[in-house]
Amino acid sequence: MEGPAEINDKRLRFDSFDSENAKVFPDKKQRLPAMGWNSWNAFGSGNTEALTKEMILKIKELELFRFGYQYVVLDDGCYRPERVNDRLESDPVKFPSGFKAMADTVHSAGLKFGMYNDIGTKLCSGAEVGIYKHEKIDCEDYINWDIDFIKVDNCYYMWDNATFSNTGNAMYSYAPNIRSVCISGQTYSAAKDALITGSRAVVKDDYVTFIGTFDGTAPDHTPVGLRSSELIFEVDIDEPGYYEMTVSYATGKEEGVGSWLQIAVEDEIVFDEMLPSTPAPEDFTDSDVIKLKLFSGTNRIRLMNHRRQENTLHSYSEVRKELEHFAQGRDIVFSICEWGKTQPQNWGHIVGDSWRILNDITFQVGCDGNRGTAAWENDYTTSITSQYNKAVIMDEFAGLDKGWNDPDMLVIGMDGINDTMCTSHMAMWCMMNSPLMLGLDLRRVNKGDAIYNIIANEDLISLDQDALGVQAKRIFTTYSCDDPATAYIRDNNRADVLAKPLSNGDIALAFFNLSTEDNSEKITVPVDLILDSIGSKMDKSFKDCFANASSYRLKELISKECSKTLSGSFSVDSLEACGCKVFRITPVL
Amino acid sequence: MTRGSFIVSLLRAFGEEYEDIFSRGLENGWLEYEDKLYSNEPIARKNAARIIHMFLLKEKGIIDLPSIHDAEVLRDLYDCRVCANHVAQVYLRGIMDAKDLSAGGGFLWFDLDGEDDQTVIEEYIRRAVETVKNAKI
Repeated sequence: MEGPAEINDKRLRFDSFDSENAKVFPDKKQRLPAMGWNSWNAFGSGNTEALTKEMILKIKELELFRFGYQYVVLDDGCYRPERVNDRLESDPVKFPSGFKAMADTVHSAGLKFGMYNDIGTKLCSGAEVGIYKHEKIDCEDYINWDIDFIKVDNCYYMWDNATFSNTGNAMYSYAPNIRSVCISGQTYSAAKDALITGSRAVVKDDYVTFIGTFDGTAPDHTPVGLRSSELIFEVDIDEPGYYEMTVSYATGKEEGVGSWLQIAVEDEIVFDEMLPSTPAPEDFTDSDVIKLKLFSGTNRIRLMNHRRQENTLHSYSEVRKELEHFAQGRDIVFSICEWGKTQPQNWGHIVGDSWRILNDITFQVGCDGNRGTAAWENDYTTSITSQYNKAVIMDEFAGLDKGWNDPDMLVIGMDGINDTMCTSHMAMWCMMNSPLMLGLDLRRVNKGDAIYNIIANEDLISLDQDALGVQAKRIFTTYSCDDPATAYIRDNNRADVLAKPLSNGDIALAFFNLSTEDNSEKITVPVDLILDSIGSKMDKSFKDCFANASSYRLKELISKECSKTLSGSFSVDSLEACGCKVFRITPVL
Repeated sequence: MTRGSFIVSLLRAFGEEYEDIFSRGLENGWLEYEDKLYSNEPIARKNAARIIHMFLLKEKGIIDLPSIHDAEVLRDLYDCRVCANHVAQVYLRGIMDAKDLSAGGGFLWFDLDGEDDQTVIEEYIRRAVETVKNAKI
């Protein structure tokens, strides 16, 4: 029976996610967040060669490349909906000249060319041209088409049940329900004798269920902390040697209960496969005998299923491996778009340059003549604040040596949001070192107009593209919580303060009012709080300089107002609804 | 009903010419190449939603409802990201119905990959025509 690939490379295993010695792709470059234009929010599946050429002309006319916008990315909807002789082709109506010609046009304009595919069998549009089982020939074609960037989506993925996949695939992504294990005649109860790590798995009656990884596609769960659960039996052994174990289990095909079981003794995986099905998820049976090599003393026998993360990482790795093979050193940005489903903040750094953290920021994308619609806030992922609220506590997962959290493409210029919201959106993304992919029809932008002034704000962009490459940390919030840096707060009736160290010793300090009401409360942040929060990310001399400065020069990066303060704190007296103030602070000795 | 028949029925209902429809629909951006490629295959509800929505938007000037929040009662709305707005727009305008999978009501499901019989599809097309008529009043 077909199933997920064997994973023989230990570096792709859960236990290696944090290992700094396990570089699967040693040639993966340190790079700043990618900037450019992506077709999706502007035109959805309706993007065409003609429209893309118009966008290129506008990028040139507006000189957006001067600010760093360099990638022109064709998103979903650009392919012929089925393969021809097993190979990808462009949609003959939308892109009649083909992808190589499109790439040439982009390159001749001094820009870089990006494309899109999906680790599943189909693209999200339903086109049956997903990269699964075509990694080699597709990557060969991508390199022949001279791509510089690839966004790889996660629809119709075969080994996961969550979002945009078959729900029955839960058999792969969750362990069975476990009632007990029996080792050399002694029975250990899962509910009473075992340790459960994390908060995903729970005890139900006399068994343990939900042994797996949280689905992070929706905004329900925090990204911080252990996002999966294991069931651990600590077994004391006098004589080292081989022991026989059976597992009392029941399988299912639904969120929380599957059939795939992993067993490890300490960090050595001894079992990693599907168990035979049982009639129902509460109909328990005993497994065949599984031999374990145990040592004298206490052995930690781990029952788990990390395949949700490992399979997805493996699939992305297969794509990257083939790209690198054919690229022969060509520099290609690898943008992971699995929407936070398998907690890519844990593993994305191994294979990608950025990883989406949630489902889309809008589902109301535009088309030619229709701007599409975005929102400041809502309950699902489809708003600026939904994405921000998660990304803002993910700074520790990002960095030059890892890659970047991606709270999705910019929605600036779409209907449903005003200029203040768009400005804060831009400032948030820049403070959080997010990729800056414009998602609007650029034909409606002119130099000096409101949208232009937002997307071409060099001062804000310089924060995103600062060479130090440190995502801002939230150091204060008006919402009551224990730790503003890690608390997952979805109530937008608040203001946040973010701080970010910069390569020249300056610090960026941003005040965001998330609320749709004006905030007239004065917010003050002392220097000590800033340095306590982000000082560890600063060069010591810069930190000392900031701590001992006699005064500070401030530039507000939206109004461009400059000021100076002698005090050891920074304040804003008020913030308009959904508004922000962003300061670049320079210490003066 | 096949995709091709659906498209012809839609145009007939609006009293429009359907000769060379694929070229015109593709050119005007309310049909996809897959509609031509799979014109002899049964039409799934998500594709019917897309074609109706894009036809009304592109050919009849029916602009999108600004918020699709109320369509979030559909449990499968976000199961297809490229379909979500199409589904929401035709559902919220009362053109295509959801299915209620619970006996007591309340578990609404669009059934993206499902297929409707001819009578149901003709009713959806009739409602699309009514939507345009009402928009003109």
